[in-house]
Amino acid sequence: MIVKYTLARGLFPLLLIPALLFTLPRGSEAAPLSVQVVGAGESSVNLLQADPLGGSARAPALRKAVNDNLGLISFIRLVNPAGVPGGAGVSSAAGEGVDFKRFALAQVHLLITAFWQGSSQVEMRCFSVADGRFMFGNRYAVGAGEKDLLDTADAFCADFLEAVIGRGDFFRSAMAFVKSDGALKKDIWSMKPNGRNLTRMTDLKGEALSPTWSPDGRRILFTHIDKRSHGLGVCDTASRTVQRIKFPGNTVIGPAYMPDGRVAVGLTDGRNPSIFLLGHSFQKERRLDESSAIDVSPSVDASGSLMAFTSSRLGSPQVFLKDLRTGSVRRISLSGSYNTDPSISPDGSLVAYARQEGGGHRIYVHDLVTGAERQVSFGPGSDEEPAFAPDSYFIAFMSTRAGARQLYVTTRNGGDAKRLPTGSGNASFPAWGPAPRR
Amino acid sequence: MNKIRALKLLCLVLALTLGFAAGCAKKEVGQGGDDDELAMTESEREAAANISNGIIYFEYDRYDLAAQSKDTLSRKAPVIKQFPQLRVTIEGHCDERGTEEYNLALGERRARAAYEFLLNLGVPASQMDTVSFGKLHPAVPGSGEAAWAKNRRDEFKVFKPK
Repeated sequence: MIVKYTLARGLFPLLLIPALLFTLPRGSEAAPLSVQVVGAGESSVNLLQADPLGGSARAPALRKAVNDNLGLISFIRLVNPAGVPGGAGVSSAAGEGVDFKRFALAQVHLLITAFWQGSSQVEMRCFSVADGRFMFGNRYAVGAGEKDLLDTADAFCADFLEAVIGRGDFFRSAMAFVKSDGALKKDIWSMKPNGRNLTRMTDLKGEALSPTWSPDGRRILFTHIDKRSHGLGVCDTASRTVQRIKFPGNTVIGPAYMPDGRVAVGLTDGRNPSIFLLGHSFQKERRLDESSAIDVSPSVDASGSLMAFTSSRLGSPQVFLKDLRTGSVRRISLSGSYNTDPSISPDGSLVAYARQEGGGHRIYVHDLVTGAERQVSFGPGSDEEPAFAPDSYFIAFMSTRAGARQLYVTTRNGGDAKRLPTGSGNASFPAWGPAPRR
Repeated sequence: MNKIRALKLLCLVLALTLGFAAGCAKKEVGQGGDDDELAMTESEREAAANISNGIIYFEYDRYDLAAQSKDTLSRKAPVIKQFPQLRVTIEGHCDERGTEEYNLALGERRARAAYEFLLNLGVPASQMDTVSFGKLHPAVPGSGEAAWAKNRRDEFKVFKPK
């Protein structure tokens, strides 16, 4: 168990600037926390929600929703309240007089308290059990509906992650993915990464693959394949209308939005599938790299200066990195004979990809600064199509570990992969996007 | 003269606007249906069957044509040329082992290899299309080399366009 308190105290107010309403007062000074999970399965944080105070009938539902959310985080283990000597009750939501030792005996590392004021407002706080330190807290206004309650859970969990890892994007993002309802039919769906707001975005004859969000969240692009052709699908996320664009060569593979709204995509011009840059109206502008081999699957960082991609220029498929400012290209995947599906972290520091090993693929992460490589998924089955979250911390991917194709999430450090709820049917090609417009 | 130019420009803008609006509508998305095909005559059906028969196969992660595949294509070429009203879609396929996007590219190369061989045999480009399905449509279910070998293939689909 490695929990490092690494953030300077002075940073704590900065981390909470986007938080809801205001930071709650606490007798002792807030102490921020940063969790470093070192090695797959080597470390996790045990977390417990204390019995809520205030007596609202809505409290159990919020507690469950928060637990459901945090249960998706690979480094969090939820502690059974029954294991706490004397139970999970606390005398004060603000921490005064709370016997943290009882929770420490149950191996709890982080304790969350909730204090309801009526049924429309709740104060939530998080404490480090080891020393009873207050980490962060907020007061949330809770609307009357069930959706409002779930929104509150999402808001708290986003604030919690922001306090712990510095970014709360997981619960503030949207996710597009591919879902198949039957043979020869695959469509684009969207949801929040915790499975809420599950929505069918397309209903097309044929197969949709490889969704990518526009930076403003207004569009999802994807590959669409019908019985005779490839097309670039352009879905307006507000109206859910779809435009299909065909290109000469009849090949469209793995589009990726650039931060400036242009698109990198695999097209065929002559013999080889190559990566082309499309303008804002999807007109072909230029080839992004020259080679006589297969070049596909571009992934561009948030600055628009680094592009990871798959190329067979050295024989077998490998992952390469192109600096779009200088034009220099270097190989990233240095082991294995089949490395594909690159996803560069938005901060440009890491590249995740799928390596073929034995009976399937595994996800690896290459550190562009140190050159170190780390395996972050371990099957069974096949783990493919990694996708970095906007926080450059979480990685969603498709896995057949339970038989069917389903989505899972882990972190750049590995850890227990958690399945994302996507409803019935096979799910694949996760793609993180900006939060829905309000 | 200027009025005529302005009218032409207006028509162009209207046409583009209508075209874009239609393109944005979900119902206008290409559905890949059969409404772009004409019924074939008896002789055309027979020719189509001859063209479709003879799937060609590939080695793992390869797209070069084996000698047997070249023989198969050489038998198809004169039939295709004899029926210029028919169109052939060359489908490239892969086995299940690779990842989806790379397999789409590999399938494209496989389809393109057959396309170019037929082109060199004098089949007009206007009679051929290529499309890759990667590993989306295996011919044989299951894993193992026996199934994989049957799935790394080019298929030839024939239709009579309107």
